[in-house]
Amino acid sequence: MDYQESLGYVASRWTDELVVTSAGTTSEIWHAETHDTERVFYLEASMSLSSMFAAGLAQGVPDNDVWVFSGDGAFVMNAGMLMVERQMNLPNLKHFMFSNRVYGSTSNVPLPGRDNNDYAAIARGFGIERVYSFGSMNEVKARFEEAVLEPGHSFIHMEVEPMNYRGESPPMDGPEVKFRFGRHVERLTGKSIFSAAVE
Amino acid sequence: MEGLEAASARSAQRATETGYSLDVATEIVDICADAGISLVASLPDDWIAQTIARFEQDSRFNHVPVNREESAVGLCSGAFFAGTGAAALMGASGLMTLIYAITKINYTYEIPLFVMVTQRGTFDDGAKFHVSNGLYLFDVINSIDMPHTVIESRDQLPMIAEAYHHSRKISRPTVALLPKKLLQGKV
Repeated sequence: MDYQESLGYVASRWTDELVVTSAGTTSEIWHAETHDTERVFYLEASMSLSSMFAAGLAQGVPDNDVWVFSGDGAFVMNAGMLMVERQMNLPNLKHFMFSNRVYGSTSNVPLPGRDNNDYAAIARGFGIERVYSFGSMNEVKARFEEAVLEPGHSFIHMEVEPMNYRGESPPMDGPEVKFRFGRHVERLTGKSIFSAAVE
Repeated sequence: MEGLEAASARSAQRATETGYSLDVATEIVDICADAGISLVASLPDDWIAQTIARFEQDSRFNHVPVNREESAVGLCSGAFFAGTGAAALMGASGLMTLIYAITKINYTYEIPLFVMVTQRGTFDDGAKFHVSNGLYLFDVINSIDMPHTVIESRDQLPMIAEAYHHSRKISRPTVALLPKKLLQGKV
């Protein structure tokens, strides 16, 4: 499956969900596809922590869905994140894991276990109940509603081809990402995040 | 299999038997609740088994045992954007693993993070494998300029709340260190 096409499809189905991207490719493609600077937290360097960050967000905004992206480079580094996700079992958390079997942000250096890693089986082994594994756009389109839009924590494995994407990072420094996203969450949920409100 | 709360109660009982104070643990938990903390992500250390159990058993908190200390950083940092007050509770060795996560997430984006950590490796710590914490814990904390405070005695426990609020104020991580004698109720 083509990485950019599949992530672009997910972007085309995006409505009011909060989005957390991970290092490199997903941040760059998501920004290129959506040009959004308010409703996305571009967590560009977290080495496997995007889903934990998203879980922390999702537990406090139960009326809003949170989509989080990670890659299999993060997965092999911290597969145990799924144990925590399973334990929290947040119905509004949807974890997309794009697997291209390489470290895509660092010149496609091959991953350990790339020929054998069965990410969906690992997720099931941790007790995740709603595990989806998609290897083609037809599969993604056929089961997107079930996997993503229905209530329930889900782990969605997207098997994609390595690519030589060299897009631009979202054009914001860290604090700007923080304030734009945080203010959006404040408007969306009515919660107070920062010490002072903006009229 | 016994539930998480029952397992925590058993762990707390063992901590009591080995000399750790339920009263101090309870006081720490109450101070955190009063400060506005409602999410606690933890990894264990013998010294704080009692404290972890108290968070688990207290309905004012969502206590999340995590798989590694960096996950606690991710979880607490994300919780900030839901308006949730959060704390990461761990042993000193856990803090030693956090430089990347803290500098990349909390320093890059200026996200508050409050960490409570055992002050391992002190003269009263019998564990030889904590010698490196005794030698380097403060150097590591200082190497990335993390504001920190040692809670030297029970009358200083309110400084836990101050350290938490200071983190929010400066949009950076802060650390409260918990010595063994404090957790044993001896000081």
